[in-house]
Amino acid sequence: MDHNAAPMNKRLWTPWFTFGVVLIVIGAAIIIYRFFAGLGAVTNLNDGFPWGIWIAFDVVTGVALAAGGFSVAALVYIFNRWEYSPLVRPALLTALLGYAIAAIAIVIDVGRWWQIYNPALPQYWQGNSPLFEVAICVKIYLTVMIIEFVPAVSEKYKDSPRPFLRSLANKLGPLVNKYLMFFILLGVVVSTLHQSSLGAVMIAAIERIHGLWWSPWMPLMFLISAIAVGFAVVTVESYIAARSFNRKVETDILARLAGVIPYVLGIYLLLKLFDLIYYGKLSLLVADWWGLMYIIEMALLVIIPMYMLSKKSVRFDIGKLLTVSIMMIAGIILNRLNTYLFTYQPRPGQTYFPTIWEILVTAALVALLFVGYKVLANIFPVMSVEPEKK
Amino acid sequence: MSVNRRRFLKTTAAGIGGGMLAVQPAKAARPRKALDTDIAMLNDCTKCIGCRACQSQCKLTHGLERDGTDPRYDMPLDLSGRSLTLIKVHKQDDFFTFVKKQCLHCGDPSCVSVCPVAAFEKLDNGVVAYYKDACIGCRYCMIACPWDAPTFEYDKALPVIQKCDFCKDARLADGLPPACADACPAGAIKYGKRGDLIKEAHERIRNNPEKYNDHVYGEYELGGTSVLVLAPREVRFEDLGYELYGDTPPFRLQEDIQHGIFKYFIPPVALYAVLGYIAYATRRKKDDDTTNKDEKKG
Repeated sequence: MDHNAAPMNKRLWTPWFTFGVVLIVIGAAIIIYRFFAGLGAVTNLNDGFPWGIWIAFDVVTGVALAAGGFSVAALVYIFNRWEYSPLVRPALLTALLGYAIAAIAIVIDVGRWWQIYNPALPQYWQGNSPLFEVAICVKIYLTVMIIEFVPAVSEKYKDSPRPFLRSLANKLGPLVNKYLMFFILLGVVVSTLHQSSLGAVMIAAIERIHGLWWSPWMPLMFLISAIAVGFAVVTVESYIAARSFNRKVETDILARLAGVIPYVLGIYLLLKLFDLIYYGKLSLLVADWWGLMYIIEMALLVIIPMYMLSKKSVRFDIGKLLTVSIMMIAGIILNRLNTYLFTYQPRPGQTYFPTIWEILVTAALVALLFVGYKVLANIFPVMSVEPEKK
Repeated sequence: MSVNRRRFLKTTAAGIGGGMLAVQPAKAARPRKALDTDIAMLNDCTKCIGCRACQSQCKLTHGLERDGTDPRYDMPLDLSGRSLTLIKVHKQDDFFTFVKKQCLHCGDPSCVSVCPVAAFEKLDNGVVAYYKDACIGCRYCMIACPWDAPTFEYDKALPVIQKCDFCKDARLADGLPPACADACPAGAIKYGKRGDLIKEAHERIRNNPEKYNDHVYGEYELGGTSVLVLAPREVRFEDLGYELYGDTPPFRLQEDIQHGIFKYFIPPVALYAVLGYIAYATRRKKDDDTTNKDEKKG
């Protein structure tokens, strides 16, 4: 670490924090009921729509939004842009919590949850399935992220009065730091793989999702859009964390980080245009309302952010930068939901709309992200002590 | 910088070595098409009288609960965790067609390809089998199946995926035909070898061209299926819920892409190496910059 991080030690029970905890308690009650009564008792899932918002939003969108962890890690450790290093730990913590929440959502959603460890057992391996790849990579990546978080934990306890804790922290911390690069690279590789595999999952459903979204290039599209939005999430997260802990926003670093986004989005835009033209989909844009939906999604995720973020005046204005980042997040949420849910049509007449319970559980999982972040950043050195002066 | 260059190289190389260890031998290729020797079922819509005896017998054989809204009757509206087969009626002008729904036991099944834990298997005799001990209940099979055959027990706390199992344990094991074929009083469900049944289907069409739609559904669709369907001449297969798909299942493209990304684990390992090299190269540049700055300061 090139900079110093410190625990925040701020007051926890603010009104928002309390609200989050209440949401989590409600969600937990619904989840417990679901395990006793079955999925049908709390969800509107049916044989036509086996995947609802728990998969499309909590897992698929959640994993895309958690890409900030690996985007920033790659930028700092692999491309050696150390000026962004104050963002590494906050981005890592967000990603760690995001993936943990996606994992919880998977356990809640799968029917035979007591066998959830099966993908890890060699006799059940099925390498043809993109979902198997996602399962394995998410498990590896979660482990890698926990290891990457060890230095922060050992920094906390390195001067602990309890001898066992102190010696453990003083052994583990340097050990992980020594091999950190191995884990960083592993984390980036498995992220690349499962972000793209999440795009591959829907290739088999060519008959069921709208032609504007279905493409054999979905794996690459999912990967690139996740990288781009990863930076936007880091921006929003830094802003919220700074506000929540009453600290100065790291505007300079975020502005420079945002300068990377238009290039990534440019590649995405080229791929999308190639997809539209090469596969003759242009006519679909004006065929029905889905064409408009596609244009709105592209405007939010790509076109407006690309234009806005290419301007220095926008990047260095935290308000505008935040607006564009939120726009991109809305765009990717729309993209993942369009691909996995909105345009999905199994047979005529089959419908799905989430129950209030599904929505409340999703809200609880989102609340868990914010509450978990605040608690952990309060205890462990995650946030950098003072933004570097220009 | 806490990590010096040599140690950095060492840990990166360890990563590449670890990646190589993960190289897996490729699994034996599954047959890509339905075979003539597979067991099969010929469902003739022109012969079906809609009595639903097949439906009831299936339910008895598998010990499944009543389905439908009125608790006094078994009246399923669609395939579900409680109904592995059912007769649907299609109305066209004043003409009714009864059509049997079930798992078609594909020669090249999507469920086998997409299941993350190999809970589906195409057996040597042609049956697509399901193993609940492997299944995690993710329901990807239901997303991928082109015929919506797998269903899920949403009303149970400990559910399984349900679909027609060709009565492989309940009846085939004892040398008996599937329950539905046995129950049919109209001769609309014929059980036999796939090659023989395809021949017979074409014969029926040839002998009665005014009666039959000139197409044996399942002969070629997505690599061929073990359940074959014949329709009346006036009725399109699409209207009976049997889409006229091409010869190759869509998951083949998905597998090709997925295998491309993981070819002998070379791309992931190569990515690891390339990223490692970039990290090494840019670090050297930065180190040089720092040295220069220091020199200038000095």
